[in-house]
Amino acid sequence: MDREQVIKALKDSGKWGHKYSFWVVYFCTGCGIIEIPPVITSRWDAERFGVIPVATPRQANLFLITGYVSLKTLRAIIRTYEQMPEPKYTVGFGSCPINGGMYWDSYNTIKHLDKYIPIDGWIAGCMPRPEAIFIAVTHLWTMIDKGMADAYKKYREQYKYYRRNQEMVLGELEWPPLYPIDEDE
Amino acid sequence: MKMNKKLAEELELTFKDIEVSTPEDTKIEIFAHKEQVLTILRFLKDKGYNHLALISCVDWIEKAEFELVYILTPYLQDYEAYKEIGDIHLKMRIPRENPEFETVIPIFANAEPYEREIHELFGIKFAGHPRLTHLLLERDYAIPPFRKDFDTREYVKDVFDSIPPIKGEKK
Amino acid sequence: MVILLIVGSIVIGFMVGVLFLGFSRKIKARIHWRYGPPLYQPIIDIVKLFHQESVSHGFLFDFGILLSLGGAIVTLLFIPIGNIVPLHGSGGLLVVLYLMLIAPLGIALSSVEAANPNVSIGISRKFILALGYEIPFLLVALSVMTNYGTTSFVEIVELQRASHWGIISMPLSGIALLLILPVMMGMKPFDQVGAPQEISSGPEVEYGGIYLALSKIQHIYLIFIDIALFVALFMGGGSEPLTFFMKMLPIFLIVLLISTVYPRFRIEQAFNYCIKWPTIIAFLGLLLVIWR
Repeated sequence: MDREQVIKALKDSGKWGHKYSFWVVYFCTGCGIIEIPPVITSRWDAERFGVIPVATPRQANLFLITGYVSLKTLRAIIRTYEQMPEPKYTVGFGSCPINGGMYWDSYNTIKHLDKYIPIDGWIAGCMPRPEAIFIAVTHLWTMIDKGMADAYKKYREQYKYYRRNQEMVLGELEWPPLYPIDEDE
Repeated sequence: MKMNKKLAEELELTFKDIEVSTPEDTKIEIFAHKEQVLTILRFLKDKGYNHLALISCVDWIEKAEFELVYILTPYLQDYEAYKEIGDIHLKMRIPRENPEFETVIPIFANAEPYEREIHELFGIKFAGHPRLTHLLLERDYAIPPFRKDFDTREYVKDVFDSIPPIKGEKK
Repeated sequence: MVILLIVGSIVIGFMVGVLFLGFSRKIKARIHWRYGPPLYQPIIDIVKLFHQESVSHGFLFDFGILLSLGGAIVTLLFIPIGNIVPLHGSGGLLVVLYLMLIAPLGIALSSVEAANPNVSIGISRKFILALGYEIPFLLVALSVMTNYGTTSFVEIVELQRASHWGIISMPLSGIALLLILPVMMGMKPFDQVGAPQEISSGPEVEYGGIYLALSKIQHIYLIFIDIALFVALFMGGGSEPLTFFMKMLPIFLIVLLISTVYPRFRIEQAFNYCIKWPTIIAFLGLLLVIWR
């Protein structure tokens, strides 16, 4: 840490904290999760960047969705995402959450994840290299600095539409809405 | 004489109207009628084939038939004696219209998830099954998705592509 | 003056605990052949947690975590950090024995309010472990009190300075306390309470934001207290804070190295360990002290 960074950290300590301490929720989706163990262990060492895995969504602030999302997984993803404390960041990892990838004509796999939960950024590729996670993390730093990583705010504002989409694909949801929905309009 | 040939002959002598073939040295294929299947399974279980490895289903759409395949292996038995016989594939066909068959849970209790899976992916009803509910899928499908006449691309276009994207701009 | 000492020791305890925690993450990383996070990473984490949204699950949820943090801080005030002893009554060691139970009780009170099944498993594990390590710990405390004929920390430290370290006059008791130190601190072979892979970090499963930060701070204090207890009882304390911390460092390193290398025990293995060797050694140590 040099002098400029210290001044920056003192000026906006929250931003500093959110930037250099990403806690990723343990959530295994699809095949992309196989890239995560090398990332957090000796070979690539994500702890250099402050990225560590945590076991519960209540403690996490980064959500990596690593691979195809079936309908059953989508249900779990929505519940996990809604339990995470704000500010929270989501990154879609691999090509399957982006547009379906190789499951583009599957009957049970959702194609565009950002129709159901908000996404801050994407890592394209099938599979992306572990380095791509670090690129994503450093990119998130820039976005947080500029105040652009605001997908969780979008979720609050557009919650009505997100909920509608979730119900369209999953049927009746058994949990109450996270934010109040104004029915008139 | 090979061990599997011996068992095949014994099967042919015991049951009438079944086709037994040995396509490989360690495999026996049996084609049976719908009514005989439970008896044959019971017979094979007494012979030492006490493990139902899988129930598989094939959709023969031109012949308008479903084929159910019961794959049996000996499990935790005297391995050396059964090594040469190998697996038994018991095959049977049922018509495609209103497919229905009896459950084999009284003989092999582990058939429960397999039959549920076949029920939801192919729409075959197993009479006597305690709970034929969803196992893997979340949605109800008009045509069960593993049937050959299920058009996945049409379905994706209808369901997933019809969901509108979220508008980015704030209200 | 007392207030100044209290504030000073709270701040010093926090700073040293955080330093130890950052140091431990760095050392662990080097053992794994990684580069590791910066030394101040725990501070970043705590700052972040204070800026996060936090979800409360009721009054006891808020109260219990504060009780736990308060218990940890009050315990800290009774322990001599070098020559800084904010509260030195005559019953020092006995008071600490009681107060050390408040912090886990507070966590239990708070986290059970969230009604998560993982919490109940974690709490029951915590109290099974406490049952295991309290017996040797009480035996060790008894032998220390018998040996020096006092319960005051200040006098114990002074008596050690007059003759020699406690670990030399009571070697068996010192070894017994060193053996249960990782259990008391909840470090790796004995971290069944907050096992992330088995029970989703146990009592902390519903903590987020400020609650998690307070829980982490409480844990930092507990680590500090446990090591400081060993140093004060068996390594002659310190004439000033700096020597005290220098003496704490090797003890922390021993526990840390054990925790880095060993995988987690099952809960009944940990309990059996606690009531077997440390108890036997502590009992022999007590006999030795009485016999002399």
